[in-house]
Amino acid sequence: MSLDPGELHGRDHAAFLREVHSFEFWFQSVEGYLHGHPHGVSPDAPIPELDAARRQALIATLSTYCVGEVAALEGSSGMIGFAPNRPAKIFLATQVVDEARHLEVMLHRLGELGVEDAEASFEAQSNPHLLAFRDRLLRYVAAKDWLASVFAQNVILESMEFAAFHTHMRTADPRTAQMLGGVLKDERRHIGFGENDLGRHLARHPEARLRLREIKRELDPLVLASFEDSLEQLGLPRSERPEVGRLYLESVARLGLDT
Amino acid sequence: MEARTAYSIQYWLESCPQGYLKGTEYGHERGAKEPDFLLENPVLRDEAIGTTVQLVVGERAALAASSGLINAAPDAASKDFLATQTLDEARHVEIFTQRLFDLGVKRDELESTITRLANPHLVRFAEILLEKVDKKDFVAGVVGQNIVLEGLAFSTFEMMQTANRDTNPKFARTLSGTIADERRHVGFGENRIGSLIREQPEKKPEIERMQKDMAYHMLATFADRFRGQASAMREARRVVQEQASRAGAAPKSHVWHGTDLSNADASEMEAVLADTVLKEFKTRLARIGLEYQSPERP
Repeated sequence: MSLDPGELHGRDHAAFLREVHSFEFWFQSVEGYLHGHPHGVSPDAPIPELDAARRQALIATLSTYCVGEVAALEGSSGMIGFAPNRPAKIFLATQVVDEARHLEVMLHRLGELGVEDAEASFEAQSNPHLLAFRDRLLRYVAAKDWLASVFAQNVILESMEFAAFHTHMRTADPRTAQMLGGVLKDERRHIGFGENDLGRHLARHPEARLRLREIKRELDPLVLASFEDSLEQLGLPRSERPEVGRLYLESVARLGLDT
Repeated sequence: MEARTAYSIQYWLESCPQGYLKGTEYGHERGAKEPDFLLENPVLRDEAIGTTVQLVVGERAALAASSGLINAAPDAASKDFLATQTLDEARHVEIFTQRLFDLGVKRDELESTITRLANPHLVRFAEILLEKVDKKDFVAGVVGQNIVLEGLAFSTFEMMQTANRDTNPKFARTLSGTIADERRHVGFGENRIGSLIREQPEKKPEIERMQKDMAYHMLATFADRFRGQASAMREARRVVQEQASRAGAAPKSHVWHGTDLSNADASEMEAVLADTVLKEFKTRLARIGLEYQSPERP
């Protein structure tokens, strides 16, 4: 699965905003894959039996994902207050529901895995590097720093999640894979928003690239360390791990920030 | 139903976008249009634009408040509910903004139209609420948002929906969907906040003061709007009567809380709306352990 930035960037900006940043567009987008899929999975999908080690690894990984989703929920909701225009506010409102839904389906899956009070325990189980990333993101949001917030939230965090979920889907049990598939479809929209917003800003203000590079330099170690820990938990062979980093770096590179 | 379920995204998805909004476009039947008599009559069109601007101002405040409260929410169920409310409010901003375009407001004149026509008391009403949200005061924010603002919106939309049912089915359908949303929002305010207020009784005086200030600016908005609308209301009735007589029928009555909106004058309309909203405030505030504070009458 790969993003198609050409399609996003090729459109007239005003028409793009009117079409894509709307409740109508969001609902048309999600209806196809959410209708009849309570908690993001088909009711027919069996709940697989996992051995103890695999179950524990999945609990730890999903707990880390929950931290990412809380960060995205708090980040996107906080950004609505200082988004520069109405279409951006409306897009972020659709993202807020997406992120809350991701958290909800992941907590539900943790419940299926036997975690009694997943909401109370996921943070303690999760990756410290991702917790540090969340703090950094929420600081940008609290400072009402639009450029840094969109970059950290809709490009870095979303790309990180996209790469992690995409890779995880290949080895996950079918029920988890189906849930992650729906989440990935949302993430593509979120990355598209970030790329479009920043891409157009950078075209007008190329000097801003310098600042974004600095933010990326600061956040990359946290992102890559989060990947390393999560993939270790999932038992992904070391030889396949560079692939995850590549998926992440490709998204960021589309903004010309790879050097 | 458990709070965890009632406040969930899953419940919202099934009841709202996959429920009462299914098959709609900007909240109304696909292809529905504003009636010709409204678009062709400058007095009525200007009045409709003026009214819709107030709806956009209120919904923008609700969007800012509900999204701003997510980070202050004390539990995941409240965050989930506020996430659904954020998208509900964004949808309301979108559909009422679209109505402005349908009424002929040009896209590049949207912000200047809103700035010019927004009632200053309604703007102040929103500012009082957003000051609490900015301070991450969850309890005051939810009372201001989900009891006061939503209570105001709920009754106003109900009254407008009743008045437009026969003459403007497109707008009436749009309002039906928002009323269904507001009902959920008001319910959340009552259910979630009661227990928090019992845990923090020291917050009561400050919250009651906020309610009093917001109620004053709400009443002042009503006064400005209805007193300025008298000639447009007369014109609307003349047009409706003309249409009815052309069709050989008597104009229908539209009774809301004991007042026939088809015949009431502006002061009667103002009185029934103000009384209904204030009565609702008293009931709902009492349910969460707060005492309604009467503002001065503007």
